[in-house]
Amino acid sequence: MVDLSQYLPILIFLAIAQGLSAAFVFLPIGVAYLTGAHKPDAEKLSEYECGFPAFEDPRSQFDVRFYLVAILFIIFDLEAAFLFPWAVSLDVTGWPGWITMMIFLAELVIGFAYAWKKGALEWE
Amino acid sequence: MDFAASLSLVAPEILLSTAGLVLLLVAAWAGDGASRAISIASVAVLAACAFMVAPALCSGAMGPDTVAFSGQFRADAFASFAKLLIYAAGGAALIVAPAFFERVHAMRAEYPVLILFAVLGMGLMVSASDLLTLYIGLELNSLAAYVLAAFLRDDERSAEAGLKYFVLGALASGILLFGMSLTYGFTGTTSFEGIRAALSGTISMGALFGAIFMLAGLSFKIAAVPFHMWTPDVYEGAPTPVTTFFATAPKVAAVALSMRVTLDAFGGQVAAWQQIVIFAALASVIVGALGAIGQTNIKRLLAYSSINNVGFILIGLAAATPQGASAMLVYLAIYIAMSVGGFVAVLMLKDADGAPVEGIAEIAGLSRHRKVLAACLAMVMFSLAGIPPLFGFWGKFVVFQAAVQAGLVPLAAIGIAASVIGAFYYLKVVKVMYFDEPANVAVGKSDWAHQALLAIAALFISPLGYLLTRWLGALADKAAAALFLAA
Amino acid sequence: MIQVLAFYLFATLVIASAVFVIMSRNPVHSVLWLIVAFFNAAGLMVLVGAEFIAMLLVIVYVGAVAVLFLFVVMMLDIDFAELRAGFIRNFPLGIAIALVLVAELVLGIGAERAGALKLGTPDGTAAPLMDRSNIEAIGALLYSRYLFLFESAGIILLVAMIGAIVLTHRERSDTRRQNISKQVKRRPDEATINVKPEVGKGVQL
Repeated sequence: MVDLSQYLPILIFLAIAQGLSAAFVFLPIGVAYLTGAHKPDAEKLSEYECGFPAFEDPRSQFDVRFYLVAILFIIFDLEAAFLFPWAVSLDVTGWPGWITMMIFLAELVIGFAYAWKKGALEWE
Repeated sequence: MDFAASLSLVAPEILLSTAGLVLLLVAAWAGDGASRAISIASVAVLAACAFMVAPALCSGAMGPDTVAFSGQFRADAFASFAKLLIYAAGGAALIVAPAFFERVHAMRAEYPVLILFAVLGMGLMVSASDLLTLYIGLELNSLAAYVLAAFLRDDERSAEAGLKYFVLGALASGILLFGMSLTYGFTGTTSFEGIRAALSGTISMGALFGAIFMLAGLSFKIAAVPFHMWTPDVYEGAPTPVTTFFATAPKVAAVALSMRVTLDAFGGQVAAWQQIVIFAALASVIVGALGAIGQTNIKRLLAYSSINNVGFILIGLAAATPQGASAMLVYLAIYIAMSVGGFVAVLMLKDADGAPVEGIAEIAGLSRHRKVLAACLAMVMFSLAGIPPLFGFWGKFVVFQAAVQAGLVPLAAIGIAASVIGAFYYLKVVKVMYFDEPANVAVGKSDWAHQALLAIAALFISPLGYLLTRWLGALADKAAAALFLAA
Repeated sequence: MIQVLAFYLFATLVIASAVFVIMSRNPVHSVLWLIVAFFNAAGLMVLVGAEFIAMLLVIVYVGAVAVLFLFVVMMLDIDFAELRAGFIRNFPLGIAIALVLVAELVLGIGAERAGALKLGTPDGTAAPLMDRSNIEAIGALLYSRYLFLFESAGIILLVAMIGAIVLTHRERSDTRRQNISKQVKRRPDEATINVKPEVGKGVQL
């Protein structure tokens, strides 16, 4: 079992950070609500865009190329995640473990070379 | 663990992955113009792998010498038999592709590379003797298959097929994983041997649920009823060379994997899964036969036919005997030949511009202007229907024989009755080709590679195939013996 | 005590944010709530001592998968009114799936109560590492006993990369690309020409 008490500082830090950020968000809202005038009507709440009703959804569609970049990122991210347990256990796994990781990296380097040559990493 | 021995056992897999990596780089640098050369190199690699696994089959390798990586991988005669079929089917899918894709300028150099990686995944599946190997192999194969299904990305039907296959396949993988975790939780091990030992007494409720969920996930992969609904859409939408691949290699791999799981891991608990397999077998035979009747697209028709054939294969699994397993392997070998023949014949149906023809009405009167093609297609149809002089009959015969000897007489009787229903739609295609007014649509010329493949497949399923029965039966017996020794 | 508090904190937040994932009207908000859920799930993983899994949740799920979800959500052209209509129409199906999930939960709890659950005994290389952190234990198994499967997993990642490129990457002919090697190879004498045009005539390049 892991000694969990080593995580206590970060837990306290998180609690304080959360408390403070909540205060920063909700305090001004509360103060404004208590001190300001609050008389909404239909005209005030309607959206305004140069006198016209909105033509289209303000969210524009993303290009599919973002997806390609994101999936390449996931793959290399996973590859990096595999490096952590490898690095800390090398004293147990020894040379076979080292060679294993090198082959694994080689596989993905080949993939990287392929992606590069294909131009998947270029934007234009 | 002896690394050297393990590595020599996985030599075909190492060759496949190395070749895949090298050809990927060639594909990137040489571009799509080199697709044909890469395809030829891939076929050569598959042939080399076939030569590497053949000795294990001929010598009937089994026992502890065939186990690699502390029980995760098993390169015995059973795996070799399945791998030979997979390599053959993969090679066929590679040979038929260039002519099809080049017409629409969509032949890309990644196609053979993806096929190689899919074949690698299937090799892992049929050699799996651990739940982890099973899952890794299955995912490798499936991931490559999803991409292949959507390979014609500008074609809406192909994209739809890829998406459908991906969503449903991911769901099936999830179900399989759920079953695997239950099995692991209740047996405490992932190795098939360990699961079998842990389940030697009465099976606990949790392990039973694990087995059922695993069977459900595997039924999806072999497209057995009630997990067949994706098959017609995917087979119709995917490019025809890819459909040729889907109908053959993954089916062998998934059936062989199901055999390993049921007869090896859950081999001590036959009663737990036998009813499920019997149900899936009968339902597949009947739904496959009835569903095919109204079809107007020949690829959809062949999809239902594959569901129907999976039902017959599962009848052999329901027997749960070495004889049943051997019969399944014989059936699989014949089924591969029939499927390759059927889909290659479909690939050869082209109109005057070379565009593929898929409608059954459009091949009316084919026998007048494409005599040989019509004869081959008719032979495939008769063989799929199991009409005696053709080799397709032999596969059904050995399966029913095994079922009867295992005491499953009613199952065999219903299966035979259903195969008569199934014969109806196969004969309908033959009738359309030979007796209807010619539509004169499918008049295009075909590629010589297609003709050669169709000739080989037709020769195999012709009555001449019976010369091979003794040899094929002996090999299948060796493979089945290896499977049952492992169990 | 503090562990119990932390557990309830994380567990409540996971469930609350999971509820918000499906209740949000805006799919982008759903994804953001999902990120919160992943973070808190990572906290739970730390509590049970699975630090590596916790790290994977943060790095891979929060860092990459959630971003991918966000891109996909923003790529789709979603008609919210239609989506909501679908919600009403598919409500019975949703209830049915919920019932199946409840049944699974009951089954799981029942299975645990039955006491038949026995975990596997770690064998071989894992045994001497029991007193070390689980990252080391995972590494010791993954890179020795399971090295073959680890390499196969690498091939799966590679196939995913090929698949993404094959399906989404297009050569664009309408854009001018920078060809660096061509630029570097260019010499002054090819780039400039010296001509002496006659009077009253133009220059043909």
